[in-house]
Amino acid sequence: MAEPIVSLTALYPRSRTVKISLLFIVVAVVCAFFSDVEITTLYPWQEMSRLAHGLITPDFSDFRVIVNALMQTIAFAFLGVSLGAVFGFLLSLVFDYRLVHMTCAILRSVHELFWALIFLQFFGLHPLTGVLAIAIPFSAICAKVYAEIFEEADTAPYNALPGGSRRVVSFFYTRLPMVWQHIKTYTSYRLECGLRTSAVLGFIGLPTLGFYLEVFFKQGLYSQAAALLLTFYLLIATMRWWLRPQLLLVYLILSIYMLLPAAVDIDMANVKRFFTEDIVPYPLRALDDGTTTVFATIQNFFHWFYELFWLQAFDGIVQTLLLTQVSLVLSGMLALILFPLITRHFQGTIGRGLGHGFLVILRSTPEYLLAYIFLQLWGPSMLPAMIALMLHNGAIIGHLCGRYANEIVLPNNSIKGVNLFAWEIVPRIYPQFLAFLFYRWEIIFRETAILGMLGLYTLGFYVDSAFEEIRYDRAILLIAITAIINIGIDSLSRRIRQYLRLTTTVQCGQ
Amino acid sequence: MPFSFELKSANLCYKNVDVLTNINLSIGAGEHVALLGKSGAGKSTLLHALYQQQRSYCALVPQNVALVEALNVFHNVFMGRLNQYNTFYNLLNLFWPQQDKLNDIQQLVRPLGLHDLLFSRTGELSGGQKQRVAIARALYQNNQVLLGDEPISALDTTQARHIMKILHDQHDTVILAMHDVEMALCFANRIIGIKNGSIVIDQPATSVSLADLQFLYES
Amino acid sequence: MYFLKLLLFCFMLSVQVNSYAKDFVFTAIPDQDETKLQQRFDKVAAYLSEQLGVPVKYVPVKSYAAAVTAFSNNQVQLAWFGGLSGIKARDRVKGSTALAQGVEDKKFVTYLIANKRTGIPLSDKLPDSIKGKVFTFGSKGSTSGRLMPEYYVRNHFGEAPKNIFSRVGFSGDHNRTIALVESGAYEVGAVNYEVWENAVKLGKVDTNKVSVIWKTPEYPDYQWSVRGDVDATWGSGFVSKIQQALLAMDAPDLLAAFPRSGFITASNSDYEPIKNVAKEIGLID
Repeated sequence: MAEPIVSLTALYPRSRTVKISLLFIVVAVVCAFFSDVEITTLYPWQEMSRLAHGLITPDFSDFRVIVNALMQTIAFAFLGVSLGAVFGFLLSLVFDYRLVHMTCAILRSVHELFWALIFLQFFGLHPLTGVLAIAIPFSAICAKVYAEIFEEADTAPYNALPGGSRRVVSFFYTRLPMVWQHIKTYTSYRLECGLRTSAVLGFIGLPTLGFYLEVFFKQGLYSQAAALLLTFYLLIATMRWWLRPQLLLVYLILSIYMLLPAAVDIDMANVKRFFTEDIVPYPLRALDDGTTTVFATIQNFFHWFYELFWLQAFDGIVQTLLLTQVSLVLSGMLALILFPLITRHFQGTIGRGLGHGFLVILRSTPEYLLAYIFLQLWGPSMLPAMIALMLHNGAIIGHLCGRYANEIVLPNNSIKGVNLFAWEIVPRIYPQFLAFLFYRWEIIFRETAILGMLGLYTLGFYVDSAFEEIRYDRAILLIAITAIINIGIDSLSRRIRQYLRLTTTVQCGQ
Repeated sequence: MPFSFELKSANLCYKNVDVLTNINLSIGAGEHVALLGKSGAGKSTLLHALYQQQRSYCALVPQNVALVEALNVFHNVFMGRLNQYNTFYNLLNLFWPQQDKLNDIQQLVRPLGLHDLLFSRTGELSGGQKQRVAIARALYQNNQVLLGDEPISALDTTQARHIMKILHDQHDTVILAMHDVEMALCFANRIIGIKNGSIVIDQPATSVSLADLQFLYES
Repeated sequence: MYFLKLLLFCFMLSVQVNSYAKDFVFTAIPDQDETKLQQRFDKVAAYLSEQLGVPVKYVPVKSYAAAVTAFSNNQVQLAWFGGLSGIKARDRVKGSTALAQGVEDKKFVTYLIANKRTGIPLSDKLPDSIKGKVFTFGSKGSTSGRLMPEYYVRNHFGEAPKNIFSRVGFSGDHNRTIALVESGAYEVGAVNYEVWENAVKLGKVDTNKVSVIWKTPEYPDYQWSVRGDVDATWGSGFVSKIQQALLAMDAPDLLAAFPRSGFITASNSDYEPIKNVAKEIGLID
């Protein structure tokens, strides 16, 4: 066989970005091969056309339900995010301490819905369940991002202060005003996330948007569901007009007032019981009764753990990882297709306006809700979840990439269309794009785990089953396993970003 | 209180790279020093080292002005005295500027041409205006030594001369890194020239001429 | 007033507030269409209120587990449970008892239903042809929608449902199971026979699209369970007063909420068989 004149690898020295991208694509293809992707409903088109018809004929007649659902959604989001932002801010000031950032990493790694399920067991449908489910993970996320913002701020003004200035005073005069705008922007983005989370909490029984959406979807009342969704999009799209600093206090008081009627008394005995009995692994509880020996107890415990791990957790982990990897790559591909919609190099003003509208709708629809809808239409397999994750995350990353691409100034204007896309724009945004994508990796994993609650066999399925079986010991262990993997992915993602030397401004989709 | 700046066989580095090696230098109270040299010669590094050594005696005008751009001119100038009042009073002035402080600072910035801009956010000012705010902040500090890193680089000649006079009049000791050699000779009484990582000239201003310093800028 | 409420809310955030005298509250497992729960049980609440001479309130819950937690957290004192949920609830609350069951609950049955496209006919024995189908249970915590059908299917095939069917889902409730099998989203499903018969009677099922293919043997199911500590709060003899009221319930519109033809006494020991089955397939420890 003749030697090729120019070896292809020599011609095309692979950069680290290309290598990593290829690796992830190969992994995703392998994962896709092992995942269960199929439309199982016998008549999918029938239901889909009914849904489509419902979406274009929204029914606003039940106005009171819509207003109430939205108000509750806003109230939970507002209180949760406010608490999260305040505690996050305080934590960010001491984020250098190992204990603080480790704790935050753990709190962050547990999804809001899991938090809600935990609180639900002892607070019931008390507003605290929803508020804390948002506030706890959000304070951990805010702490991390605020700390990054502080770190990036210029220290020159601080150094120029006269020697002997008090730390508190220096903080208020130099560091805080320098990051304030940044923190405000990020916090309002967080509120948008909070609204989505709050809406989804309805699926487990809180009186927010998800509660009514589930009821409407279950009964096939697609027009009513469409009306709810449209008002939700409107709410998010108009946020920058109604979210005013001067009105924050008013909103906060209104939110508390909205949630008060459900704030019945909390029985601390239930809380105590949950933490001191219910979550203690079942075999260990026998020790208190004195019915078994220590040795037998330990043996039983290992047996219990072994069974739980191999019969439930292991399968859950595999399924969750398969779905995560495929969805990650799909999201990335969709993002690269979508970002030109809002980029000035490809679109005029009108085109970009429409593109923005489209992306807002995609990214405002929580993936949990999207997955729920697709599952109703196509039956149980990984396909609905993949599509849901792809649409939501693709739109978010596409939005971020589009914003980034708009800042690029091109040296020459002669090339257009696909050539412009492939030769000029994509190579310029690609590192940034990868940074965004890897930032979302752990988020996609968390979401994938949660989607199990809808009936896929990811980790959330087993967590939900454990809660349904009132076996909190198992539920907590499974949540802990999910959290550990999540932390692992987070650190792997950080390493890959370091390897690729991807630096990126904070808050890209965190 | 007597003080002086002393460097003995010092190696000074910038971003972990030695810029100046084996520096021996002593600057005492009452001296008006100009640091000269090409850009990148190590003037800022030397200035920074001096600042670190006697921070409590020094008011600093940094090269990048180092203003808090989200705050207005009053606040940025007031920062010059954050070490003089108690925490509560400082915070009070942040949210509710006190009339007497407003008057003081208004007086101070009038000769600098900033009196109409007291409540403008510094982020919205021009480069020259920002530099004057940084100068005002140092003046307000009212300290014994003024350290300045090219404090008049963004000002026109008339303005620059006017401000140099104020700076030198109001401070006992002045150490300025300068790019304008003529101006330096005009106001300083001691000239220090830096080249290739060491001090190559250290003489009274009266004994050097413009031409003597030309070699500092040749490669 | 609002300010007071606000203060109260803040107060509750920080400290424990003990239970104080309150309404007698009951709930029911959401075994059917959730939206109809309130209207189904509000009449029952009014009836009990009148019979017991204390205010009685019904609170809806979102899941079987929520009914059990509400009971064990003393957020409700009385509940209409399924066989399995009742066992879990009474296990968690010492001194609680099963008071009454429906006449039908002594001999309860689960139906396996299939979409007509599968072509599986009604048979006396569990049809082997369900193997490899897309299958749905009801709620994960349901006796008739999950526990008993899983038990019989496991026994018949000697394997876990996951390995028998091509896919296993949990529809959430019995109406939903019927709707999903009818629409073809699932090919085969397990459903509470009372809910099925009722839906057929009301014409809510298209029997040309979905039909019964197998009936399980009989087992005990639903029951009213009460917490043991209600006598302490509402006076001694309150438990038996509740029992009398339940047994005396005979108005058709009240019974239609369940739907049952009447109530008879029940005891904890009636549900031992269910407990054993649940243990056998590993649903309780």
